Amino acid sequence: MVAFDVPEVDYTRYTNRQLAAVPLAVLALALLVIVATFATTGAPVALGTEFSGGTEMRLAVDAPDGQAEQVIQQAFDTEIESIQSIPSDGTYVVTFGPGTDPAQLEQTVVNPPNDAAQQLELVSLSTVSASFAGDSQRLALGGIAVAFLGMSLLVFALFRTFVPSIAVVLSAFSDIVIPVALMNLLGIELSLGTVAALLMLIGYSVDSDILLNDHILRRSGDFYESTYRAMRTGVTMTLTSLAAMVVMTITATLFGIQLLSAIGIILVFGLAADLMNTYLLNLSLLRWYMYEGVKR
Amino acid sequence: MGTLRDNWRVILLVVLLAGSTVALFGSIGGAGDDQGIGNDTAVGASQGPTNLVYGLDLSGGTRIRAPLVGVTAEEVEFGNDSTGQVAQNVAAELQGVDATDVTARQPTQDRAATVEVTTRNVTPDDLGAALDAAGYQHGDVRDGVTEETREQTVAVISNKINQAGLSGGSAQTVSTSTGEYFVLIEVPNEQRADVLELVSQQGQVQVEAYYPVENNSTGDTEYRRQLVLEQGDFQDIGNPEQGQQGQPPNVPVVIRESEAGEFQRTMVETGVASQGGTFCTYDENPNGTQPCLLTVVDGEVVYSAGMSPGLAEDMQSGQWESNPRFILQTSNYSEAQQLAINLRAGALPAPLDIGPGGAGTSSYISPTQGENFRMNSLITGIIAVLAVSGVVFFRYGSARVAAPMVLTALSEVVILLGAAAWLGYPLDLAVIGGFIAVIGTGVDDLIIIADEVMAEGDVKSRKVFQSRFKKAFWVIGAAAATTIIAMSPLAVLSLGDLRGFAIFTILGVLVGVLVTRPAYGDILRTLLTDR
Repeated sequence: MVAFDVPEVDYTRYTNRQLAAVPLAVLALALLVIVATFATTGAPVALGTEFSGGTEMRLAVDAPDGQAEQVIQQAFDTEIESIQSIPSDGTYVVTFGPGTDPAQLEQTVVNPPNDAAQQLELVSLSTVSASFAGDSQRLALGGIAVAFLGMSLLVFALFRTFVPSIAVVLSAFSDIVIPVALMNLLGIELSLGTVAALLMLIGYSVDSDILLNDHILRRSGDFYESTYRAMRTGVTMTLTSLAAMVVMTITATLFGIQLLSAIGIILVFGLAADLMNTYLLNLSLLRWYMYEGVKR
Repeated sequence: MGTLRDNWRVILLVVLLAGSTVALFGSIGGAGDDQGIGNDTAVGASQGPTNLVYGLDLSGGTRIRAPLVGVTAEEVEFGNDSTGQVAQNVAAELQGVDATDVTARQPTQDRAATVEVTTRNVTPDDLGAALDAAGYQHGDVRDGVTEETREQTVAVISNKINQAGLSGGSAQTVSTSTGEYFVLIEVPNEQRADVLELVSQQGQVQVEAYYPVENNSTGDTEYRRQLVLEQGDFQDIGNPEQGQQGQPPNVPVVIRESEAGEFQRTMVETGVASQGGTFCTYDENPNGTQPCLLTVVDGEVVYSAGMSPGLAEDMQSGQWESNPRFILQTSNYSEAQQLAINLRAGALPAPLDIGPGGAGTSSYISPTQGENFRMNSLITGIIAVLAVSGVVFFRYGSARVAAPMVLTALSEVVILLGAAAWLGYPLDLAVIGGFIAVIGTGVDDLIIIADEVMAEGDVKSRKVFQSRFKKAFWVIGAAAATTIIAMSPLAVLSLGDLRGFAIFTILGVLVGVLVTRPAYGDILRTLLTDR
């Protein structure tokens, strides 16, 4: 059986500044995207129905190929925010804003008032009132903040030294910020699934950082040797999770299981960001600490 | 015996797996036990070959989550007034509010006296002003209702769901971290509109007499309405009946003996029970009809009828009182069913804040969609596991290392499924997301253990293995602790649908770190040292 191995990177060729420059630049860009979004929309990321209020219907449409969206448009006399097609079962997810009356939408499908509506069949419906959505939003953001704070405190308690701890916290922060920025760029909305994924990232992303810190700070051996050993394990870990998440995102998208595809895509972004942050940002901070910081 | 002691983790893993298998497939599992810890999603019936209970996501049905409408004044001083008087006095000061919408509660050990108004469009300021105007001293006036009202409402809703024969449905109160309370209603396999119709009606049933009187000063005829029967006046409520022979659908009822005499007298006095019966034309000509009996639900007249000659005669002779049977007529059978449910379950003390402008959420998933999700998420999970297996086989190039790794990760899922079946926790998409998170962290940990143990050549002695294993375990423990901390806000806060995700991720990480992942270390040791 062929086995792949993690290649050894010759870190001695680069200075700490060079190593840290790339992840820091990406982090700065990501923050810029988020700040720009916040300035234009008032929220750090576009909010999905769960957090902004509104009604989401999943409809089966009995119409020839290519005409389904048109039929949906004709059936409802209220304004439609978006229509998304689910290829695996031929259904459509139709989203309405918070101002629409869900009972009326439901009636349109159940007791069709026009020919177009007659071709629709209700698969699922969920509606969230604006005030409930506001509560969920506060709860979700608060939950992420509390989780991040708790993680930071724990990391400081584990390593008890400033630089290695802040290195872990900083790369975890970047691991969350980069996917959020990508959500803005790709038009992915914040949903319960993406919140779950961001929380999961807090747990996942520190794994490889803790591993790296542990090998360098707590084990005997030369810095580069320890780094290589930590990388062999850490990169394998992240690649395994990444593979699972890529596959899950693709299958869940095809099946139209939005919760799972949302979790998957955010973790793909976050884990990819984690590879960069752990082995460039965290590593450069640790090397500075080992060779220069300790002596001071 | 030494091997037994050394391999206790493996043995514990086997025991847990066996227990989970029994919980999943045995006939003694706790399936269908609605007392599970999943108080967010405590419905769903076990289906298929396992004892697993599925939540609405995966079985189909309707979920409604909404606060109750109402404002409450705390620490009200009633003086010497009875609660009924207080309610009337306060209602008189509020526009468009009936005394039945106002509830005054005497103080209990836990709280001072309160006054609640459970109708829309009354703000805390309105109630405060009304109390001041009526001359009652009071403390804070806030949005929301009292705990008693919440409990009574939930009891009435549960009752309604049962009376309507919606099996597996449930109602309960859930609270958010911000101290708000919601009523959560879940009904498997029912359409949202049907459930809403059932629970959004407050269901206050009244019977009124509608009759003409001569105005003495002008000589004109004007009509009056008089309340003659209320919810509590019925001794027995029969099954709704399809009407026959010109008789509309109806609900047969028996009036309480204590009320029967009064009712009979009023019927005769108002002329509803006149010689030869009455013919009601309330719908077509309300200002020219003979006396009528009106069936009023939530303030709206749902049916009007006159009285048959036979019944009118019995009332006039006073015979009816000794056998006070009566029928409440409706215009169609489904209304009769609804009426019977309302009469039996009672009226909601406070209505749900749902519908346009309300503060609730609701969702409906068709049963076929639920079933599809169940199958498709299983397939998604299996494909994700295959991807993980592929990478670890490719990476280590050795089935000795990789195969137990995949099997260990899968065994964690089996144990979690067993736990879900045993607790009767309804599986939904969020819980499945939790399983995926567990496989993810699990494989990470197993890779750490494998790399650590195999580092720098072969593991010759048990001692070397132990020291390496300990080192690996520090990292695993630290990583597990961060995951648990990251998930705990979600497990504690009730962000509705994500609670199951957090609970099962935490549970999985605990099972993994305490049992299965160390057991993998033991298996690996046996495979590597006993060569």
